[in-house]
Amino acid sequence: MTWITIVWSMNAAACLTLAGFYFAVWCKQRQRPMYLLFSCSAIAAAAISAFELWMLNSKTVEQYEPLVRWIHVPTWVLTLSFVAFVRLYLRAGRTWLAWSIYGLRTLVLILNFIFPVSINFTAITDIRRFSWGGQMVSVPVGASNPWGLLSTISLLLLLIFSVDAAITVWRRGDRRRALLVGGSMIFGAILAWHVPLVIWGVIDVPFFLGFTYTAIVAAMGYELSNDVARAAGLARELEISEKRLKLAADSANLAMWEWNIVRDEIWITDKGRSLFGFTPSEKLDFDRFRSRLHPEDRESILQAVENSLRTGAEYRSEYRAVLPDGQIRWIVGRGHVEFNGDGKPVRMRGASVDITKRKEAELEAACQRMELAHLSRVTTLGELSGSIAHELSLPLSAILSNAQAAQRVLANDKADLAEVREILNDIVSEDKRASEVIRRLRLWLKKGEVQQQPLQINKVVQDVLELIRSDLINQKVTLETELPRNLPTVSVDPVQLQQVLLNLVVNACDAMAGCNNSQRRLVIRTGIENGGSAVVVSVTDQGTGIPEEKMEQIFEPFFSTKEKGMGIGLSVCRTIIAAHRGKLWAANNFDRGATFHFTLPVAASDKESVTTKNRIG
Amino acid sequence: MSTPSSPTVFVVDDYAPLRRSISRLLRAADFVVAAFPSAQDFLAQYDSGVWGCLVLDLAMPTLNGLELQRILAKTGSLLPIIFLTGTADIPRSVQAMKQGASDFLTKPVNDEDLLAAVRVAIEKNRALHREQAELSEIRARLATLTPREREVLEYVVAGKLNKQIAGELGTVEQTVKVHRAHVMQKMKAHSVAELVRLTQRCSISGR
Repeated sequence: MTWITIVWSMNAAACLTLAGFYFAVWCKQRQRPMYLLFSCSAIAAAAISAFELWMLNSKTVEQYEPLVRWIHVPTWVLTLSFVAFVRLYLRAGRTWLAWSIYGLRTLVLILNFIFPVSINFTAITDIRRFSWGGQMVSVPVGASNPWGLLSTISLLLLLIFSVDAAITVWRRGDRRRALLVGGSMIFGAILAWHVPLVIWGVIDVPFFLGFTYTAIVAAMGYELSNDVARAAGLARELEISEKRLKLAADSANLAMWEWNIVRDEIWITDKGRSLFGFTPSEKLDFDRFRSRLHPEDRESILQAVENSLRTGAEYRSEYRAVLPDGQIRWIVGRGHVEFNGDGKPVRMRGASVDITKRKEAELEAACQRMELAHLSRVTTLGELSGSIAHELSLPLSAILSNAQAAQRVLANDKADLAEVREILNDIVSEDKRASEVIRRLRLWLKKGEVQQQPLQINKVVQDVLELIRSDLINQKVTLETELPRNLPTVSVDPVQLQQVLLNLVVNACDAMAGCNNSQRRLVIRTGIENGGSAVVVSVTDQGTGIPEEKMEQIFEPFFSTKEKGMGIGLSVCRTIIAAHRGKLWAANNFDRGATFHFTLPVAASDKESVTTKNRIG
Repeated sequence: MSTPSSPTVFVVDDYAPLRRSISRLLRAADFVVAAFPSAQDFLAQYDSGVWGCLVLDLAMPTLNGLELQRILAKTGSLLPIIFLTGTADIPRSVQAMKQGASDFLTKPVNDEDLLAAVRVAIEKNRALHREQAELSEIRARLATLTPREREVLEYVVAGKLNKQIAGELGTVEQTVKVHRAHVMQKMKAHSVAELVRLTQRCSISGR
């Protein structure tokens, strides 16, 4: 075996090996076609080397002619795949140059098969064999084809393309790659110039076009090893960052999870398994997860998940998990959905955290708030006991007098039955009125959960005025109301809202206790605010006003300006309004007295209609 | 001498069902009833010549019971007032009684209590009216006396003898006798004692 055979074969083998590597890489990363292109060009380079080796060992013109024609096929493949590779891998090279090369090279290939021998020779007359480096090699002797100039031009364009691409990469700052890949490209493009020189008889060497690619293969080999080294580094960093993440998750009591939606498999950290009471080896899917949910929360969780899967919105939920031993845990979960190219949800990743302690504290606080609100209601009721007794004594008096009148009418020989009927009607309606007062009182004194319901704010105002009517009369307070109709509904607990209003009205009356009769004017207004997103209620008095420095202090618990007051009224009012996502504040009037305002957000169902109305209006 | 027509019970209360029920009760007890929803309505329609009594709610908007009581007192009304109140409000009940209320009842009021109070008030008013009538009658009789007769009356009531009176007036005893007979006749008095009683009621004292 000659050294020429060994060297050319080694070159081809090297090209094929790297082609194989890159093909394997492409198989795993289909989205990166540059690896396939490189693989193609390396195979073409190997083929060229094989052709050349064959040509070097040809002894006759008949043997040589088909080789010199068919070598253009791998050359065409090499040129095209290489240019495409440069454009994708280096993201450089001018488009027009690339298309010119594609066109010219393809034209060369077509012409190559039209001419009798090839694009390079019109005829090969002889094979000249001579000794080169101690080995006998064959070179063709014949008439060169003037159309071969096209091939030379394409070679020139390729050189320009390579230089331009290398400069672009260099300018971009990626100097290592510009030197390595760009440099080897330029080297190869220059080396390819031996072909026309041999054909024109300027130099006397055999063709070694296959070697023009050797430098590129070496450069790409280096790139590959570099990638491998980097991957190993990344893997190590990933490991460290995973450890850090786990540490952070553990210290934050976070349970991380991932739900493979396509296969319905749930992976979850050990922390998460213990959070939901799953055994370490148990296989988890969505149904297993669902089985841990509190029955009352199941529906809302399903809806939240479905919503995220449908819209891609962040999944967020707060729910109770029931552990196998019956223990209940409050958990808050958050997650993101990942979609595939077709927009189908494939994966959901997220974290859950145990908020049982916080929730218990919240419930405790809510309980205390409720107790305080109740206490405040009882206190207010105590202050209003006279008024309430009056409200009850009115219907009771009417009932008693009516009943006794009826007894007297019936004792008469000629009893007027029509009158007795009227009397009974009055008794029934008065009894109902008394029952209504009692019902309201019972509701008022009831300790219970807050029940928000959509209500007309004016109805609540009127209910309160009903309750305090006789008090206002006794205190000689003139009442004015501005209650516009068609206000949007608000979602409120009626008893709590009555409590707030009653407190404000009682305070307003107290503030005016020292005024002349004519000045005791109380104004209650309702309206909309914040562009229709909130309802506002104002209670205005003509009293002494509030010292500016106490404007906020009055809302603090146990702050009172009254001798009898406990000082919880306004602080409870503020808590109640805040729990309704509203705001309560006070301001002095321009002339005299103060006004208390509070807002309440419009009920969700009514929001749409309000905006529509506003738009039309 | 009797009071004109029959007594009327006025009922003033802003709460309609209660006003109706009280009115029915009083009517069932054979009283003539006139009911009003407010103090202003009552004042607008009240004829001071009509007698009886007033059943009045203490707490009413704009013009309350105590204020109506004061207004009536200023106009010299004799109408006795029975107050009805929802709450046993001591300061105001004291004030009401000081201003001359006839009675003060808390709601709910029992029929016997109310009717008893109304009867007492009407009797009071009847007596007042009778006295008023008698007084005006006596005044009318006094008005028929001549100045000389009036002088004689004053001396007679003072217990002077005819001779003494004649001396005082500078006339003869016989003339005094004639005047005295006229006085007794015009005053419809059968004895000097009766004449003294009549004149005392008119606050006429002897000379």
